Amino acid sequence: MSKDLNIWLDNLLEDIESVQFRRKSSRRVRVDVAAEALPALLELLQGHASYVHLSAITCVDWIEEDEFELIYHLWSYEAHSLVSAHTRIPRDPGVYLSIYDLYQPAAFFERDIHEMFGVYFEGSPDMEKFILTEWNGPPPMRKDFDSEAFVNQTFEWEEYRPKWLEEIEAEGGGITTRPEDVRR
Amino acid sequence: MSDIMHKDKGSILGPLKSLAFFSRQPVTEKLEPREASANYRGFHVNDWEVCIGCSTCQKVCDNAAITMVRIPGLPEDPVKGVRNERPAIDYGRCCWCGLCVDICPTSSISLTREYVHTCREEELDSYFILPDPNGIHGKYFPKGWTKSADADLVDLERQPMSEMKPKKRRDNFDEIVDGYTDQQAIIEASRCVQCGMCHDSCPTHMHAPEYIRAIWEGDAEEAVRQIYRSNPFSHVCGRVCTHRCETACSIGRRGEPVAIRWLKRYAMDSVSDKRIREIAAEDKVDYVTGKKVAIIGAGPAGLTAAYDLVKQGHVVTVFEALDKPGGMTRYGIPEYRLPYDRLDADVEVITSLGVEIRYNTRIGQDVSMKDLKRDYDAVLVALGLQNGRSTRIPGTENEHVRSSVDLLRRITQGEAIDVLSTVAVIGGGNVAMDIARSLARLQKQAYGKVGMTVAALEDFDHFLADPEELKEAREEGIKILDSRGPKEVVISKKGKLKGLTTLGVVSIFDEDGRFAPRYDETDEQLHKAEMVIESIGQMSDVSLFGDDLTEQLEWNRGRLQVDDDGRTSVAWLWSAGDMVHGPDVVHAVADGHRVAASIMKYLES
Amino acid sequence: MRPENYQAISQPASNEYELNFGPNHPGIEGNYAFRVKLNGDTVVSARADAGYLHRGFEKLMEGRLWIQNIALVPRICVPDPVPMEVCYSLAIEDLCGLEVPERAQWIRVMQLEMSRLAAHLFAFGGHAATTGMYTPMFWGVADRDLILDRFEELTGGRVYSIYNIPGGVRREVPEGFLGRLSSLLDYLESRLPDYDSLFFTNQVFVKRARGVGTLTQEKALKWGVTGPNLRATGLAFDVRRDDPYLVYDRLEFDIPTEQGGDALARNLIRRAELKQSIHILRQVIERLPSVTGPIRAPIPNPLAWNVPAGETYTRVESSKGELAYYIVSDGSDKPYRVHVRGPSAMHAVQVLEKLAIGSRLEDIAQIMFSLDACPPEVDR
Repeated sequence: MSKDLNIWLDNLLEDIESVQFRRKSSRRVRVDVAAEALPALLELLQGHASYVHLSAITCVDWIEEDEFELIYHLWSYEAHSLVSAHTRIPRDPGVYLSIYDLYQPAAFFERDIHEMFGVYFEGSPDMEKFILTEWNGPPPMRKDFDSEAFVNQTFEWEEYRPKWLEEIEAEGGGITTRPEDVRR
Repeated sequence: MSDIMHKDKGSILGPLKSLAFFSRQPVTEKLEPREASANYRGFHVNDWEVCIGCSTCQKVCDNAAITMVRIPGLPEDPVKGVRNERPAIDYGRCCWCGLCVDICPTSSISLTREYVHTCREEELDSYFILPDPNGIHGKYFPKGWTKSADADLVDLERQPMSEMKPKKRRDNFDEIVDGYTDQQAIIEASRCVQCGMCHDSCPTHMHAPEYIRAIWEGDAEEAVRQIYRSNPFSHVCGRVCTHRCETACSIGRRGEPVAIRWLKRYAMDSVSDKRIREIAAEDKVDYVTGKKVAIIGAGPAGLTAAYDLVKQGHVVTVFEALDKPGGMTRYGIPEYRLPYDRLDADVEVITSLGVEIRYNTRIGQDVSMKDLKRDYDAVLVALGLQNGRSTRIPGTENEHVRSSVDLLRRITQGEAIDVLSTVAVIGGGNVAMDIARSLARLQKQAYGKVGMTVAALEDFDHFLADPEELKEAREEGIKILDSRGPKEVVISKKGKLKGLTTLGVVSIFDEDGRFAPRYDETDEQLHKAEMVIESIGQMSDVSLFGDDLTEQLEWNRGRLQVDDDGRTSVAWLWSAGDMVHGPDVVHAVADGHRVAASIMKYLES
Repeated sequence: MRPENYQAISQPASNEYELNFGPNHPGIEGNYAFRVKLNGDTVVSARADAGYLHRGFEKLMEGRLWIQNIALVPRICVPDPVPMEVCYSLAIEDLCGLEVPERAQWIRVMQLEMSRLAAHLFAFGGHAATTGMYTPMFWGVADRDLILDRFEELTGGRVYSIYNIPGGVRREVPEGFLGRLSSLLDYLESRLPDYDSLFFTNQVFVKRARGVGTLTQEKALKWGVTGPNLRATGLAFDVRRDDPYLVYDRLEFDIPTEQGGDALARNLIRRAELKQSIHILRQVIERLPSVTGPIRAPIPNPLAWNVPAGETYTRVESSKGELAYYIVSDGSDKPYRVHVRGPSAMHAVQVLEKLAIGSRLEDIAQIMFSLDACPPEVDR
């Protein structure tokens, strides 16, 4: 039964023009769809193809293409297959619809993505900060935020002065390469 | 489906079950720290005698916990690839993942089973430790997580280099080595851990880590740019260099060193000659200084100096006695090791920058040193070692006793030489192998078979020629004998050369290390030969200086004396290359750079 | 939340008060704050407040080489670190097309099941402690300690084993290890009757846990519940069976389910899974000596290793539920994006908030532990 469901879904998705569809393996499918069409696709998958479980929503920051990519991973208990629906939204307003009305687990992920990437999901029940409640800086998971530079500017590193180092420096030796010098 | 029974009514006798515990042994955990398991990832120890200070552990550490510290007094040998640095670890950052142990090229660092360290806040410095063989607290703990063969993160095997099979190469001078394919080069370049030992040990300090990384990134042009920072003879060195870099390579400690020489060849062969000329000209200055420099000898030393000087705007004229450039690289190294067109490509890069080479112009004959002193602001003499030495054993006056250097030059020039069917070669260095293998090819062409014997003083464990040369020579049908010293060239009454007699060698050096071979007179062999070739060393023909100049210069046992910058005792005269430092291509290139820097300083003042 | 940043909320009704449950509280698993508004003893509203364990792993992983991340990854889930390592390695192997040797796959299954045993002992021990029964907790932690001894012997680390690497595992199984593991399993099985009489069938606990935090199957599916919590509502879904990885499709094991959906049912599921894990481990112990071969597929020099561009979504069944990694590679030597989807992302936040409403103050901790909500996975 589950195989039939997969075959039916594959055929259906291939026929739809605005959807780019690729089955990567027996249990993994990748679908690329335009941002406006995504909620309709999710409704289709949930209502008619038994994809009732939202596994995760991921956001990827493609800073060079000036876009955010949102990926909705849906799992079907009946068809034993995972569909990853990819869509792109422009980076600048960074606003998208919430799918909370379709999938309730979306609330957590949308809140998390809002906090980490700055993407606002309209209609999501709770867009308040969750993990970084006292953070006032830019959304940290964006590629233009350099967390290492932030740490180096905000905090002071402790300098170690152990005895053995002082003895070696007295003989003419000393530290030659610090780990920061070789990090790429 | 649960398989436990749930009774909804409890029983008043329920608690009595706990009476059973009176007969049970309690589980006791001791308070003192117990010995950890055999695989435990505890504190570090580092065997300082095995550690070479390559800092690969520092590069793989994911918490940036390792700092390299220089410790005076430890052995430091750039040629062998040993630094006097050792890793120090910040235990505030280390997570004891053991990646440093798994990637260490020498397997000197390992983790012990020690895991207890306490300190008060004032003693926070005790978290920064310098692991040595004694452990962090000086107490002995057995080793825990150590290097294991199935989990070694370094790739110990080199990409094999394919070469022509003996049957195909025995009768021609086509290049033997095929060179790496793109994929092989990228895989080989990925083995490099960027430690820089090769850079330190190279006589001309080539930027090998940088060009290897560029090859790995697929950017052959950047590799060529990095190569030209230090060596304009890289088509040559990429084929025939004595690769001190590979001897120092830290991967070579336990495995096969990274094929630095073949990667250099790959990068140079991947980029077109025209593009290489453009890259080499990138940092040439756009003005002319008006100073003129004369260079005698168009070999690696002379032309490298010419390359440096012309890029800084000086006018350079090179005088070459023969009709083609390259010196020993053309007239000494056979074509099957270094094709002439590759050497020409290297030289063309230098001439395309504006260096003028006057061929067939012999100083001392066509032009005198006095003329050079008058017409130029500085003169560099880089003649090389054109003449071969002779053993002067009885019989060497015969016309069929030749020197290898002379014969190799004639073969390169395409002169017809006597190819006799049985030949004996005295000597065991690379030049002896060159002449033996070249003549063997000519013998195969003329007679269909090889009759070549090489007799060397050294034994096979201390052979002077490269092991690859030895192996390939044997594959080409050459008989190689070790520990044999030349006694006499046997000439018949009619003056025909019959053979060479050799004696067994007892020792080569005396107690003071001087060259004084002793033979076993009872162990005499006769090797039939119609020609004997001597390949026991080279010397320079310095007659070009003339009597006056020879008086003024300082000499050291027949060799021209120069200081560290290559200056002679005469203010306007420098010397570089084989003639002052002995035969080696990459040393000649390094010399050329040094001398050019010295000349430039002199010209500015 | 720092004390100086706390803002009191106005009190609308006179008998409602707000209580800050956590972050340092024995009834909270890990460091997690839970702000509940109570009317007397009954919870009226609940709000989760995470962030005390936020270490920024997803950002950190973008700045490190692929191999350096194996030391970061186990720290994302503290009680059950092995599925994290295995999932990360599986994702990279999927991107690179690396074939993991069979022996390594069996060793990985062995580790995963050992870790599941340890995590379940911890979980129901913790649950017992929230009801005031501390003895099962001490027993659970002590027995888990014996499992950690086996981990120490196999991997060199007790909790953060850092033993899985893309391509396989890092060291061979020590001699005699399988024998010691087998006697440990015998010991654990002999302890199960003790646990049953003290804890699982003990009416003190059963009456306490029955009916607390009830989830129906529809609600569970709607709220995205996975793992033992979902199986406690009757749906037999296990990633090992329905989305198999490693050699699980060659092993024989049942998927236990319960019908109640309450805290008691979830606990009984964990006990049943203990038995199943022991059963799987016995099969592995029997099979492992005859599976020979290398323990690692060769990877290039880790300092110069470019993983081909692509993306992959890899799922594993951890002791808490469905664990997934979404990794994007742009063809360079560092990950472009690593998204960790921990099972507790659902359980600790929405499910806990919704189940807490209407329950009593003393049952909040019980609900959290019975859901096995692990804050490090929420915060990453």
